Amino acid sequence: MGDDFYVRYYIGHKGKFGHEFLEFEFHPDGKLRYANNSNYKNDTMIRKEVYVTDAVLAELKRIISESEILKEDDENWPVPDRVGRQELEVVLGGEHISFATTKLGSLLQVQSSKDPEGLRVFYYLIQDLKALVFSLVSSHFKIQPIQR
Amino acid sequence: MQGRGFRDQTSLADRLEGGTFDRLPSAGSGPGPQKSVEGWVLLVTGVHEEAQEEDLHEAFAEFGDIKNIHLNLDRRSGFVKGYALIEYGSKEESQAAIDDLDGKELYAKPINVTWAFSTGPLQAKARR
Repeated sequence: MGDDFYVRYYIGHKGKFGHEFLEFEFHPDGKLRYANNSNYKNDTMIRKEVYVTDAVLAELKRIISESEILKEDDENWPVPDRVGRQELEVVLGGEHISFATTKLGSLLQVQSSKDPEGLRVFYYLIQDLKALVFSLVSSHFKIQPIQR
Repeated sequence: MQGRGFRDQTSLADRLEGGTFDRLPSAGSGPGPQKSVEGWVLLVTGVHEEAQEEDLHEAFAEFGDIKNIHLNLDRRSGFVKGYALIEYGSKEESQAAIDDLDGKELYAKPINVTWAFSTGPLQAKARR
C-alpha cells in the first residue's frame, strides 16, 4: 500500500502530422518505458524499455517528493485543448494523483494562470523528470530523444 | 485521488499499451547489472548542488576511461539536481568505481554509487 509506486508522464497533440507525443512510465519493479512519436521529423515511433535499479527509483521518488507536487491540484489549471495535452500520474506514499493540463509554452503562461504557484511546481517538475528520463534513455540506448 | 485525470480517462491504446518496446539483450538469470549499448552506466546520488562536472570526472577517471557523464541541473534553481550518470566501457571499471567511491565524500557530502540499469524486475517488488 504505502510503498506502491508509479509514475507516468505524457505530452502530445493530434494535428496534421497525426498523433505526436512523448510518454514515459516507471513501474514499481523498475520497468521504465519510453515512447516518442514525431511524424514531422521521421515516420517512426520510438519505443524503448529498460529496467532501472532500486537506486534510480529512490532518486526519482526523492525528486517527486521534494517537488511537493502531491500537495497540488489541477482544478484551476488550464484544461487540455487543441494546442495539446499533458498528463502526470503519480502513485507515491499512499497518494495517487492524475493531473491533466494543456501544453505550457512558457513560464509567462504559468504566471498568468489561475494557480501560478501550483502550476509552477508542475512546470519545473516535468522538466526535471524529462531530464532524468532523457539521460537514462540516451545513455542506455544511445538515441537522442526529441526535445519539445 | 486527486486530479482531472480520474474524471477524464485517456486511452493508452496507441501509446504505452500499443506495439512492442525495444529492449537490449541481457545475459544471466535474475536481476544484475544491465549492459547499455556502449558500456556500463552508474548512478551517483547525493551529489552536492555546487558540484562541477570536472570534479566528478576527476574522481571517477581513476577507475577507467569515462565514456559519458550526465550531471543534470535543477530547472528551477539552476543548481545540480543531486544525481549523475557516469558510463564506463567495461563492467570491471564500473565495479571498481562502485567498490571505491560508494559512501565516500565529495564536497564533504557522502555519495552513493551503484548500477543504473538492471537485467530484470527488482525482486522484492516483483513478488507482490
